[in-house]
Amino acid sequence: MKVHINDVAMDFPQGTSVIDAIFAAGYDVPYFCSQEYMSPIGACRMCLARIGAPRKDKEGGWILDEATGEPKIFTFPNMMATCTTQVMEGMVVDTLSEDVKRIQSGMVEFTLINHPLDCPVCDKGGACELQDRSYEYGTGVSRFEFDKRHQEKHHPLSEVITLDRERCIHCKRCVRYFEEVPGDNVLDFIERGGHTYIGTFDPGLPSNFTGNITDICPVGALLDATSRFRGRNWEYKHIRTTGMDDASGSAIMVDGRTGRIERIKAALNPDINKTWIDDGTRFGHEYADAPDRLTTPLLRKDGELKAATWEEAAAFITERLGGMSGKDVGIAIRADATLEEGVAAKALAEALGTGQLDHAPRPAASVIPAQDPATFTDLATSDGILVVGDVTEEVPIADLRIKDAMKGVTPPELMPHGVPIADLRLKEHPQLKRAILTVAAPYRVDLMKHAGQTVRYPAGGEAALFGALTKLAEHGGERVDGEPAGEGQAGASLDDGERAALGMPYEDAAALVRRLKDAERAVVVYGGFVLATRAAAEAANAFAKAVQAKVMILGPMADSYGLELLNVGPSHERYAYPAMLTEAKALILSNLDPGQDPDVRRALQDKELLVVHDSFLTDSASVADVVLPAKSVYERDGTTVNLEGRFLGVHAASVESGESEDFVGLVGRLGEALGQRLEGRSVRSARRVLRKRFELDPAELSPAGRLYRPKTRRQARVAIVSHEAFDGNLLVTPSMVRIEYLTRNPHLERVVEGARLRMHPDDAALNGVADGDAVRLRVGGVLRRAVVREDDTVPPGLMLLPCLPDQPVGLVQADLTTLTREERALEVAG
Amino acid sequence: MSDVTDTTHDASTRPITSRRDPRYEVVMYRHVGVEGAHTLDYYRSHGGYEAARKALSQMSPSQVIDEVKASKLRGRGGAGFPTGVKWSFMPPVDGRQRLLVVNADESEPGSFKDRYIMEDDPHQLIEGMIIGCYAIQATKGMVYIRGEYVKGYERLVGAIREARQAGLLGRNVLGTDVEVDITVHRGAGAYICGEETALMNSLEGLRGNPRLKPPFPAQAGVYGLPTTINNVTTMTSVVHIVSRGADWFASMGTEDSKGTKLYQVSGPVERPGVYELPMGATFRELIYDLAGGPKEPAKGFFPGGSSTPPLPWTDEYLDLPMTYDAMAKSGSMLGTGGVIVIPREKDIVSAMYNVVRFYAHESCGKCTPCREGIATWLPKMYQKLLAGLGTREDLSLIEDMVRNNRGTAFCPLADACAMPVQASFKWFRDEYEYIVDNGKPMYTKSDWWQA
Repeated sequence: MKVHINDVAMDFPQGTSVIDAIFAAGYDVPYFCSQEYMSPIGACRMCLARIGAPRKDKEGGWILDEATGEPKIFTFPNMMATCTTQVMEGMVVDTLSEDVKRIQSGMVEFTLINHPLDCPVCDKGGACELQDRSYEYGTGVSRFEFDKRHQEKHHPLSEVITLDRERCIHCKRCVRYFEEVPGDNVLDFIERGGHTYIGTFDPGLPSNFTGNITDICPVGALLDATSRFRGRNWEYKHIRTTGMDDASGSAIMVDGRTGRIERIKAALNPDINKTWIDDGTRFGHEYADAPDRLTTPLLRKDGELKAATWEEAAAFITERLGGMSGKDVGIAIRADATLEEGVAAKALAEALGTGQLDHAPRPAASVIPAQDPATFTDLATSDGILVVGDVTEEVPIADLRIKDAMKGVTPPELMPHGVPIADLRLKEHPQLKRAILTVAAPYRVDLMKHAGQTVRYPAGGEAALFGALTKLAEHGGERVDGEPAGEGQAGASLDDGERAALGMPYEDAAALVRRLKDAERAVVVYGGFVLATRAAAEAANAFAKAVQAKVMILGPMADSYGLELLNVGPSHERYAYPAMLTEAKALILSNLDPGQDPDVRRALQDKELLVVHDSFLTDSASVADVVLPAKSVYERDGTTVNLEGRFLGVHAASVESGESEDFVGLVGRLGEALGQRLEGRSVRSARRVLRKRFELDPAELSPAGRLYRPKTRRQARVAIVSHEAFDGNLLVTPSMVRIEYLTRNPHLERVVEGARLRMHPDDAALNGVADGDAVRLRVGGVLRRAVVREDDTVPPGLMLLPCLPDQPVGLVQADLTTLTREERALEVAG
Repeated sequence: MSDVTDTTHDASTRPITSRRDPRYEVVMYRHVGVEGAHTLDYYRSHGGYEAARKALSQMSPSQVIDEVKASKLRGRGGAGFPTGVKWSFMPPVDGRQRLLVVNADESEPGSFKDRYIMEDDPHQLIEGMIIGCYAIQATKGMVYIRGEYVKGYERLVGAIREARQAGLLGRNVLGTDVEVDITVHRGAGAYICGEETALMNSLEGLRGNPRLKPPFPAQAGVYGLPTTINNVTTMTSVVHIVSRGADWFASMGTEDSKGTKLYQVSGPVERPGVYELPMGATFRELIYDLAGGPKEPAKGFFPGGSSTPPLPWTDEYLDLPMTYDAMAKSGSMLGTGGVIVIPREKDIVSAMYNVVRFYAHESCGKCTPCREGIATWLPKMYQKLLAGLGTREDLSLIEDMVRNNRGTAFCPLADACAMPVQASFKWFRDEYEYIVDNGKPMYTKSDWWQA
């Protein structure tokens, strides 16, 4: 419909809000309560404009202006909030007249009445919507001369978010965010009128997505505690890059200053994370600036690790390598390395002539679906979803996109000014279509509280669960009154074992199968629990095929998909990681720490050469011959591929980390020492390889990234040794917060209260520990430190512990005889 | 000056616009004040529930709606929207639960008519709700009663219990296959919950903030279900419309404001209280004939509750008929018909501060102009004036500030405060100027709490 905004006439589809029409036309109005991807509510009254529209008479024709013969424009008696008004045919909008300007400056004056003059000490200064709108639309002087209201300042809403109640302008973005986006209603207004303030009933904001409110708060009321008082917004260098903490490929903005990362914010990617990131990505950056970061190479001289130069270290390595066969060297990089680092690793392996190359953690099954993987948009528009695992911890953004599907609102069309400011399809208090979601896991996971159907199956039972479901699916999913199908009868017959494996009544399973089959855009989502065994993954893929669902696989780390695509893997199963730790005589390990297992650490000491590339002096590094300082994920230029198969650019922020290099830099240095020009000796040379291999230019990737769909079938990957019969008494679970950096991320550490070893209260009593005890435990050999949490939703006999890169998701055996409380000296004495 | 439309000179067909007219009969308030009038026995022995019986057994739901439309009854909660038209907004029956909500929040200062209906004649309300539910084909009625009306709540709940026992509520009302039941929900002290969308939010257990309209309650009301919301005395009017016919109702009042209505008088008059009158009666009849006139000289009055702009105490305004149109033309509103008399000795600045304080306290805080302007700034400006520290610039500032509150807020609460303030400046500016020029009020009497 045609709309006139001041002197511009444009066409808009029905349902467009007037405020979006205004911005699309190139004009603007102030607003505080509207927020992209959230419901418009018309509360702040800043966006008021003078609007008129023609009217139809009883016969359906336009009422005409007698003078001009054109449809007469009837001006609405009051100014209208443009965020909650729909465009109408022939509407006329005025945002420039004196009347409108007077109201705009009046609203600014009202908004500033109780707002404290904190600008000189407020972190939001320079990036503050209230500052900007006051400057643009206010008169510059306030006539309010009385005492402003006083409220609590710097109230710790949680360990990572500080609330200043005086600064709040009551836009309600934070309240609506929690209700509409993650569905965790943890904030609300308390009291009324001029006394209204933001508060919570649950201590510490229990949600994985709390940090986004610090992005959307238009003023300095909600602030990131990790960057409090760390700098002024105009001093920060903002680098847009891709988050490397999980496989989502979320867009982030890294704010740095004087060689430190001070803050991480969300960046816009409509296809992946919209404008949201999870708390692990946002607040988990402090380790990059930890004081104990390695800044120079270390060389073992006289039994001690001493600082050395890269030339010295590279020369040492080259010399040692010269005395052994190249094929006895094992090279392993972490699965959040960039593609360029993968190219470098492959080049080095080829130069050395070794087939012992791998990236870790690498699950037993492939992270690349046989058919085209489901995209986040597929997930967000799905009408039937089955999730197996804990997606809220594994790839948190997938949780939010699932909730998009449950709200039933498709992603908005982008407008000239970007994402619509006021999407009128979004309403407060949205009703989620719970029926479309089934969540299955061996323990209670957060997403279950929103699901229409929840399934608790026994840990390790993924293959059996999918096997039984597939049988149901292939036989039409018809219920046969609980009796085995008779001759010629349609229906599935499941034996007792298969029924038990379902973890739910037969009827519910049949209903699930029917629901997914009837859905037009079904998606099956699975992660580490299923990837842990080939059998489970095959069964899951067979099920998805049987119900004609797309598959979304949550790989263990950021570039799992990319490194598998690039085939950074061994020439034989016995050379895979961690098998290569025994097989190889020399090892080059990047960002991996197998030495956390004391037995492995002892074995590592006997290697002819152990080179550890890491940011910190880990257990493995402490027994290495050479330690090389590694760049953190924030300091690398490169490319990564997320779980959709989307190529995304990674851009380095400037962090003062001495002589750190990423694996590309390491290979470059080694290449110099070896006298070879290795591919992947630099990002540029690595990209030549990538360009050729994938027919796209990583240097020219747009911020949105690019979905890659190979034209030919991939070569088969070499699997790792996997256990087909999965057994254990402890389930290693996915974790949004990276446990390997927990002690160096003090804010996040306080949020999660340590690595939690969850167990049933009966098991705690049985093992002589209690809630809150700090303990040590050998889990699958790895020595883990954790804090006991008694939880009666954990099945008795099973314990839960979050994962590490060297201890991926899945069932393992914990040696409970090694469970000991960490006593402090004072405690023992007292 | 009367606005009575004279269609003929025949006295018997002229509309009834005064209680002096011998044809007029008090119908809604006749039992109020009578001992025991709240019981079912009393109500029944005075013809109670016959209108409901007539509607349920002799009329169809749409016939009831047509009758109410023909009566031209306008909602008695203050907005004055034609009730029959509002009822016809309900969507066709589609299997979803339909609701009739009765707004008994009655928090408008100057209004207290609903209170005595619920205390002394609750069965009249119940009968009205039965007819209303039948008309809009709702099986559930909900009364939202302000928390402060404890006696009204107890009487109403008691009456509902009596009605259920007597088969007047429940599965088979009056032996028909009509199902109606009523629940009562108590408010918790918020004027804003008298606004219909905030009321619905409060009923759902949410914060009492108003909602966006559209969608309107008939489309998406309580829990998103089709809902009609009416005032208490709108429902009681329906009883008599069904009982005596639309023509009888329309024989009272003026062209735009028909029927019999409950008016209230408060302030220093001889007999403050609730008085039932035909619409079209004048303020003079209400205040002087019925309420006995002011006990001391008066200078102005609020015609329909504190949200209506006050008018000066002159013949021109006292002789106005108390109708929606006449009040709109005069620059004020009829509202709930709750007249508040302003004595001359009450300084207008102090009186208006009292009014402003009320709205400041009741502001819900959702939108900026009301939360910051009405609830924060305006009372402080009045405090400054009353402390003797005000200036002429402050008067301009108040006028500018309330102008920014007119038509800019999310709901009409801000207007309900701003308009009376503007009217007080229009009619009593001399008192504002006096207090800023002299540092003390023009009228200094302050001990008003006297019997």
